[in-house]
Order: sequence, then structure tokens, then C-alpha cells
Amino acid sequence: MKQHPPKTLSTHPQDSSRRRFLLGASAAPIAGTLALSLSSGKARATVKTSAHIVIAGSGLAGLAIANRLARDLDGARITIVDRKEMHNYQPGYTLVATGIWPVDKVVDRNIDLQPGGVDWVREMVAEFDPIGNAVITDTGKRIAYDYLVVATGVHLDYAQIEGMDVNRIGQDGMASVYYSHTAAEASWQAMETFRQKGGEALMTLPATALKCAGAPLKMTFMLDDRLRQVGTRAGSSINFHSALGNVFSVPRINDEVLSRWAALQIPVHFNSKLAAIDLGSRRATFVSPEGERTEQSYDFIHVVPPMRAPDAVRNSPLPWQEGGFAAGGWLEVDRQTLRHRRFPNVFGLGDINGTPRGKTAATVKKSAPLVAQNLVDVIAGREPSQQFDGYTSCPLLLREGSALLIEFDYDGKLTPSLPMIDPLQESYFAWLMKYRLLKPAYLAVAKGRV
Amino acid sequence: MYEIWLALNILFELGLMYLPTLILLGAVWAALMAVAIVRGQAAWCAARRPAIVIGIVVTGVMILLTPSLTLSSLGELKYWVDWANLAAIAGGFGALAAALTLPLAATLKRAS
Repeated sequence: MKQHPPKTLSTHPQDSSRRRFLLGASAAPIAGTLALSLSSGKARATVKTSAHIVIAGSGLAGLAIANRLARDLDGARITIVDRKEMHNYQPGYTLVATGIWPVDKVVDRNIDLQPGGVDWVREMVAEFDPIGNAVITDTGKRIAYDYLVVATGVHLDYAQIEGMDVNRIGQDGMASVYYSHTAAEASWQAMETFRQKGGEALMTLPATALKCAGAPLKMTFMLDDRLRQVGTRAGSSINFHSALGNVFSVPRINDEVLSRWAALQIPVHFNSKLAAIDLGSRRATFVSPEGERTEQSYDFIHVVPPMRAPDAVRNSPLPWQEGGFAAGGWLEVDRQTLRHRRFPNVFGLGDINGTPRGKTAATVKKSAPLVAQNLVDVIAGREPSQQFDGYTSCPLLLREGSALLIEFDYDGKLTPSLPMIDPLQESYFAWLMKYRLLKPAYLAVAKGRV
Repeated sequence: MYEIWLALNILFELGLMYLPTLILLGAVWAALMAVAIVRGQAAWCAARRPAIVIGIVVTGVMILLTPSLTLSSLGELKYWVDWANLAAIAGGFGALAAALTLPLAATLKRAS
């Protein structure tokens, strides 16, 4: 039986029906012809096979690969293993958490995005057995496969922060955009309450790999903007605590952000990791690499959890055994083909991959077609033909109405999709992309069309 | 080219999001065209000028309004890519207005 996501109420009235009408109308001249051109995409060649492909996870990566394989393979059995009924547009969480979008814009039904004809096992993978070519679900069901796509996403390791309680996100000045769509909404409520009076704000960044590593930066820029809008910025302080020696892994972007924060009077404390939080008394404890602990009071704090691979992956033979990705339990894939380095019938897609930098929807957008083609190649008895360059992107919100559109690859080289886009130029266009155009792009990716 | 395919898909998904609006607009346009054609002797040539004028006016208005309708402002348009995209969006609204005006003006010109 199809289930509907729980209805949630918007706290932000700005996305009016008038705007929807006006913007929707702009697509009118083109939409009709598009329907015809898009439908022709189904005419592509398919590969006949009786292979059983299991996809662990039904986030953007799982859905994108499922849709592509369902179209590209004739006769294959495809099984998706994931319990969640609701699909969240996670790139929209920062918009919800800063009062730009109502929360219902990030809530969709998973089943609406799945291809027809796939088996959907509404359980979670508890164990991976790549030697026996099977996964075991949390109810003990063993599902054998010929090919496996691991698309489980990340585990948000809030437990590493002593005293943290995700159930209190939105209360006592504590925000955390990552946890869920309701947490994003609650984070906006906390920010909205804080900005009315202002005070001391602490923004945090852990030392682990992050999905959407721009989100902590966006929250910081937007908090500054929200305070200025109501005139409480002058009486407030915003301090950014990074557990690393930088705030972003791409040096040019890191320098750009630090330069802007200096102008906005947002000091950055490097090598300062959030270790503990006392939610009742609003005190946070930061620890240096040398183990020195410093306690700070706050009126508002944005908690960014450390991230790692889910236990099912981490405790299996699938993660990196050594090197920088081993500690997080990230999947050991070849960074170009995204095929597992030791289990050739296993591919990885999305945030779970132990590859540099890219844990974003934009990474999935560019890599899902490659992984689908490489898997089809392997099923057809060929070597993988596609190579991924690590493309990812981040529309970095600077304030309400303006953003940077940053695109880069594995090596941190800026790679704008269109040559006329200057990644360091703040712009309305980048804002419009984030505000209005990226969710449609995301849906097209999930449906396996781009 | 991938970016063109991506842009087309974005427009397609936007179209799906606003499908009721698009259907309504299509129905209004079809009705206006039907009236103009069925009543006969529609002044299509004479209708071009008001359609173009309305289209230009709506384009201009939308250039002014679109940034604020998307929670931004004209002051945030920092370089030519911003202006090019704004012009394209506003031009889309202008073309739509012109398309709706054409059959209406053709009918009214005939009636007068």
C-alpha cells in the first residue's frame, strides 16, 4: 500500500502561489515540446541479461541507478533494499533551515521516484557478504545477487559529540541542518528566535568527510544575513570553529570564504573540534589536536555531526583497509570507474564512496550515468568504459538573493560547466539555480534522465 | 551537449510542477484562438502590433519583478550572466503574453 508522507506545516509564507504561477508560466512555451523529446530517450539500446542486481539504498544515488538500469537492461531483476517511504530533497535542507523554503518542498514519496518493475524490499541492509554475493537485511533475510550497487549514504555520527541529543534540535538555541527535514525546519525556528535578540553564535565543522560540505558555510553566511535583516548583527558575534586547518577543501574557495568572513567579522578558530555540548546551560566544549579543552557559552549553535560509513558497510569486507578512507569505513572503489577494487561485481555510488571530496547530489548527477554504463559493460562481459573525474558542485549561499556557483573535481580544480560562469563571482543566477532550478534537475537525475 | 539536455530536463520538471497552471494557460490560449478562428475574418496582421507591444511591456515588467519574486533584487545582478538569464526569463513571460494577446487582439480588431 502506498503511504503518504506526513504533512508538515510551513513556517515561511514567502513562496506564494503567485510566484509559483508566474514562474511556472515561463515554462509554458517549451514544456509541450519537451515532453515529446524526453519520451524519445526510452528508445536507447538495451542489454539482455537475467542478472539479479541489488541496490542497497534508495536515496538519490539508489534511485538514479535503479531508473537507469531498469531502462538499459532487458530482463534483469533489480531489487532495491531500503525501508524509507519518504524521499527527502536534502540539498534543500539549507533553504528550509534558513527560512527560505517551506519544509514541504523537500518531501516527496520514494515510490513516485522508483522505476516500475523493480522489487522493493522495505528493510535495511544489516550485513554485506560480498564473498557470498549476498546481503542480509535487518530482519535476517538473505538476498543473493549477481551484482551489487552500494548506495547507502552516510551515517551521521552525533554520538561522537558528548551530550548531543538530536531530539532537541530547534530547542535551546541548538540547530543542526543535516539530521532530517524536520530538524532543518526546527533549525530555522531556532535561528529565527535567536536573530530577534541576537547574541553569541557558534558554528561548527567536524574533521571527517562531509556530505554537502558547503552546508556549514551556507548556514554561517545566512545567519549573518538574517541577523543583519532585523538589525541585530551589530550586537551579535558569530564564531566559526573548524576541526580542520581550513573550512573548505578547495583552496581557492577556502580563501574566498575566509576573505568574505573577515569582511563580515566572522572569526574562524581552526583545529577546534566540538567535543561536547551541554544543551541545558548552552555551553559547548571544543578540543584542540593537543587535547586542550575550551568551554564556550552560546545563544545559538549550529552542530555539524561527524560522518562515517553506516555500520553495515563499515563492518563488512567492503571498506578501504588502509589509507585515509579506512577510518571512516568508506567503500573501497576505484575513483575513476567507481567499481569496487576487490569485488568486481560491486559498484559504489554517492556519499558512501571512499573518493576525494564529492559527497553531493551533483556528484551523483555526474557519476550515476557512468556507473550505470560501467555496470552494463561488466554485465555484457566488457571492461568498464567510463571514467569519473570527481565532478561536484556547491551553490554556496552568501545571503538571501545571492550565491556562488562552485564546481570542482577530485583534484580541487574549478570546473565550471559553462565557460562564462565565474565560480568566484557572486550572482543572482547562482541564487536562482539554488532557489528554483536545482530541485527540478535533482528530480531528473533521480528519474535517470540526466 | 549535456548542459542543454540538463536545461531541457529542468524545464520539463518545472512544467510538471506547474502542470495545472500550464493546462489552464493552454486552455485559455486555445479558447481565444478558437473564438478568433470560428468567428472568422480575424485581423491577424493588425493584431501583431498590440501583441508585440504587450509582449515587450510584460518583458520589461518581469525584468523588474522577477528578482523580487525569487527573493532577490535587481541590486544582486552583478554580471552579464545574471542579466542574460533574467532577460531570458522575462522574455518567456513576454512571449506568453504576446501569444495570449494575439488571438484576443485579432478578434477585437475584427469586431471593431
